[in-house]
Amino acid sequence: MIRRNFLRDLGLSAASLPFLAGLPSLYGAEALGSRKQRLIIMFTPNGTLPGEFWPKAGPLTELKPILKPLEKFKDRMLMLKGLSNRIKGDGDGHMRGMSCLLTGIELLPGNIQGGSDTPAGWANGISIDQELKNFLQKDAATQTRFGSLEFGVAVPDRADPWTRMVYAGSNKPVAPIDDPYQMLNKLYGQMKDRATLVGVLDDVRDDLKKISKKISREDQRAIKDHMELVKAMEEDLKRAGDRKLVHPEPELDPNIELVNDNTPEISRMQMDLLVNSMANDMTRIATLQYMRSVGQARMRWLEVEEGHHQLSHEPDKNEDAQEKLLRINTWFADELAYLVQKLSDTPEPGADGSMLDHTTVIWTNELGKGNSHTHDNIPFLLVGNGAGFKMGQCHDFKGAPHNRFLMTLAHSFGHELKSFGSEKYCGDGVLQLG
Amino acid sequence: MRSATVLLLLILASFSVSCGKRSKATSGAGGEVIYAEQCASCHGANGEGVDEEYDEPLWGNKSPESLVRYIHKSMPEDDEEAVIDEDAEAVARYIYDAFYSPAAQARNNPPRVELLRLTNNQYRQSMSDLIGSLGPQTRIGTERGLKGRYHNSEKMEKEKGFIGERVDQRIDFDFGESVPMEKMTQQGFSIRWTGSLIAPESGEYDIRLRTHNGALLQLNSFGGGGDEDAFIDAYVSTNNELQEKSRKIFLLGGRAYPLHLQYFSYQEKLSSIHLEWKSPHGVWEAIPHEFLSPQGAAPVTLVQANFSADDRSRGFERGSAISKDWQEATTFAAVDIVNHVVANLEQLGRHRKKNYKEAKDLRELCLELAERAFRRPLSEEEKALFVGSRFEGAKDVESATKQSLLLILTSPRFLYPGLADNEGAPDGYTIASRLALTLWDSLPDEELREAAREGKLQSAGEVAAQARRLLKDPRARIKTREFFQEWLAMDEREDLAKDGTLYPGFDQRIVADLRGSLETFVEEVVWSEKSDYRELLTADYLYLNPRLAEFYGATMPDGGLYAKVTAPDGMRSGIFTHPYLLAANAYHDNTSPIHRGVFLSRNVLGRLLKPPPEAVAFKNEEFDPTLTMREKVTELTKKDTCMQCHRVINPIGFSLESFDAVGRYRTEDNKKPINTVSDYVDDKDEKVRVESGRDLAKLAVESGAAHRAFITHLFHHLTKQSTEAYGGEALETFRGTFVESGYNIQNLIVEIATVTALHYEEDEAVALSTPTP
Repeated sequence: MIRRNFLRDLGLSAASLPFLAGLPSLYGAEALGSRKQRLIIMFTPNGTLPGEFWPKAGPLTELKPILKPLEKFKDRMLMLKGLSNRIKGDGDGHMRGMSCLLTGIELLPGNIQGGSDTPAGWANGISIDQELKNFLQKDAATQTRFGSLEFGVAVPDRADPWTRMVYAGSNKPVAPIDDPYQMLNKLYGQMKDRATLVGVLDDVRDDLKKISKKISREDQRAIKDHMELVKAMEEDLKRAGDRKLVHPEPELDPNIELVNDNTPEISRMQMDLLVNSMANDMTRIATLQYMRSVGQARMRWLEVEEGHHQLSHEPDKNEDAQEKLLRINTWFADELAYLVQKLSDTPEPGADGSMLDHTTVIWTNELGKGNSHTHDNIPFLLVGNGAGFKMGQCHDFKGAPHNRFLMTLAHSFGHELKSFGSEKYCGDGVLQLG
Repeated sequence: MRSATVLLLLILASFSVSCGKRSKATSGAGGEVIYAEQCASCHGANGEGVDEEYDEPLWGNKSPESLVRYIHKSMPEDDEEAVIDEDAEAVARYIYDAFYSPAAQARNNPPRVELLRLTNNQYRQSMSDLIGSLGPQTRIGTERGLKGRYHNSEKMEKEKGFIGERVDQRIDFDFGESVPMEKMTQQGFSIRWTGSLIAPESGEYDIRLRTHNGALLQLNSFGGGGDEDAFIDAYVSTNNELQEKSRKIFLLGGRAYPLHLQYFSYQEKLSSIHLEWKSPHGVWEAIPHEFLSPQGAAPVTLVQANFSADDRSRGFERGSAISKDWQEATTFAAVDIVNHVVANLEQLGRHRKKNYKEAKDLRELCLELAERAFRRPLSEEEKALFVGSRFEGAKDVESATKQSLLLILTSPRFLYPGLADNEGAPDGYTIASRLALTLWDSLPDEELREAAREGKLQSAGEVAAQARRLLKDPRARIKTREFFQEWLAMDEREDLAKDGTLYPGFDQRIVADLRGSLETFVEEVVWSEKSDYRELLTADYLYLNPRLAEFYGATMPDGGLYAKVTAPDGMRSGIFTHPYLLAANAYHDNTSPIHRGVFLSRNVLGRLLKPPPEAVAFKNEEFDPTLTMREKVTELTKKDTCMQCHRVINPIGFSLESFDAVGRYRTEDNKKPINTVSDYVDDKDEKVRVESGRDLAKLAVESGAAHRAFITHLFHHLTKQSTEAYGGEALETFRGTFVESGYNIQNLIVEIATVTALHYEEDEAVALSTPTP
């Protein structure tokens, strides 16, 4: 098992403060002034099959094959056709597709060369999830322990514009965590450590007592002082441990290796953690990134041996490739359905209804279509009622810049931005989705 | 201290009388009698406590007044009226003086080897060595620089065409619009450097990458080497602009840390790459070649916790303060280390050919770590407590391992090395534990453990041979280096800045160089074969680098970072005249004979100076501006009360007046010729004429007090105990062997380590087992 626990993590937590102090924040805000609202952005790469994905504009009656797994959520779905990622400039189509998707702004000129076009660097601005995180964290009523969590599934271990869609600001990419064990540790590590500590401190004290009997009187003083301190710590920790979580920490199968073939298991583990972290109000914003743009995942669990990106380049007339891409994209929809189902099965803590009533899940992609590399018709599929949009619809915005949709999302949280990302694409204001 | 106590009690007595707190006359017997009648049955004849009654000894820090109040009000517990008013006062006075007060404790309990916890540094070292003992061992080779592999790139392929390989002395390149190596294309190229970084001392390092292009640095990485594992990620560049990214890391000195630097330039006009640092006492600079090795190294497990500073009330760091801060810091550090070990179990298992998913192998691992951490094998009972009981009925082996390791690492058996000592004459494990702590501030290594196991640590000869071996290790070098930093008070003047108009060019760069020069000098002397203490005092040369040579007007020989240069002024005499110390003990705009005098008389000449009876500040503006510094100091300290000490201090300072505030030689002060001649009063109260650093050096070489000061400082630094604890004769015995060995410092270190490792007081053991009735 490759558990990436790094030295640098030692430095961060060892300061010990968060361990005992500030405990309430571990559990999220308790008193809620207003309706809780959450956002989850799920990304899958290499374009969709438009014919198998997009329905006609209007009320959602029949879903296309890719979306079959989501059939039962039809009434709670909203599909936004005709949105274009218009951002131009440096970087190849995949790089801009990925790094401009949530930022809506150009890439900085840089040294990363793609398969075509000019080399580029990181995006020149913040992504919408981080913008909303900052907005929510500013207000005590909506503040959470993490503000946002960035989940990944099978994201390659490298940092470049194809691999990052979340940005804390210009030139500041944020890496997703694609190791569920690492994520579990981030969420619950301190609590686990506390439990382990409580389990041993008593014995430390007993041993101190034994030792104290064996040493000279003059030296006993140090040992007695030490014993008092251990006792005090034990009491502190026990008090802290008495508080209960709304939802218990999820049990993860401890034996899943982080390898390509385990992607389906890892995907489910990450989604379990995601829903759990939101149920315990550790965050209200999350992203879930599958692989990366140009990702070459070999989805053998779907009996697809070829790399995903390579398949996505095949012409429409290659029926075998089309069929495999359909399988791949339907699998992604399956994963989305699992997430949505889980949200809908979990009662909203402290309120009526389910978590899905307070959450908007967006499924998106860096390309409209794999083999044409188009940035038109970028898939934006919304499920859930967090944003308060009118659901059960498919709109066609006929080439409107996707910046306007990102702005609309901000507005749904009460964050009334005049523009987001590159201003020139925001002139026509928010989309009417009410 | 004693007289102060008496005074306090007198004041106390008159206070209560004047308050009219006089009631019916009682027995009027002395405090000792009352104590014996009323108190001793519960508190013991000497306040040591009585089992089943009151077993806490009567020791403490309360004032006599509060003792009186407490006894008057609450004692004896079953009859508070039995001892009140004057009787309470008499008892309080008696117990305070006889055994309660710290002064009485010191008197009743002569110096002894104390049970101390690990100092912060010892904790870090021990933890790194403990965890490090499980993995591959690093030996630092002699070759310097980093190995670089140079490639041309093509599109997304960074390492398309191999061009060449070489060892680069430092990574400090401005390629501009050209390429690093012939046959490379400006269009796109990449370089991959590998090797390790050697930390010259313990402390916080700032590490920095500066590049116009892309670079990614891994330092001390435990992971597989992907981006996620980067120490500094500057892989993606922007607009061919110079990017500068830095990060701090606490490193232990004398160790090598694996380093891997990837660099590439792609379709960019300008190319550059700089790998730089700011070492704990340095300035920003490209990491010098002597701290880079082309050889790889195993990553070092580091405790990155923040500790509050150790107690220095006796003038040296000691693990005597058992505070909440410390207990928390060590506990949380242990949690981190345990998580780190558990997270790397698979990798560790591969290295050790064990299956760390199996309870059996994990139990063995825990036991092994416990033995190393506790510095001796565990009894069956201890094995059960620390390991066995954790695995029985545990919900999974991972939590069992975590609990066991946490219990071991937070155990006093690890934290208080003295607990590893056996009763009676020290056995091999005790000796090994003491040697490693004295010489390395750490735990015994495999060779020491083996010697202990096999009973090969018995004779003084065997112990000394091991001490000599340990002394060759970088950890001993670092500990020795830290001793000199302490003895020469090098860290007490962190902000060694001088007036820029008076001393142009004396910047932080020069300060860092000077420190390097002093440390190089000390190390060259100490680690030479003769290792002669006298050389430290009398050397007529300086180690200079080109920058220093220019500043101090010397001619630099070719090559070398620091080279031995005979001082142009011909007036130098070892540490007495080293410009770093001359500058450190001076004002920012002038010399300070008092600072130089106090430092040298206390630390080097071994004179005991009491604190000044009154605090007098030196205010330059209050003097006649035509006076020299010597005249000003003479004026300032002319009172008899001052001269008690200044007859020692001033002559030392005056003899060095021919060196200005930055340690340059001069012949005039305030446009008057300098007079360095005066009469120093030595420890036998005899006058000795001194007029230069050389005269001071002669004094020190010949003076027993100077030798004792040096030995005492060294002893404290190595053992954290007082020399008296090893018997009244210990210091003089060390001095005897020191002088006999030709003042050999290495020899002295070995001697101290050996004597203290074998130390054992017979009656100490008796005192342990039979509590006073």
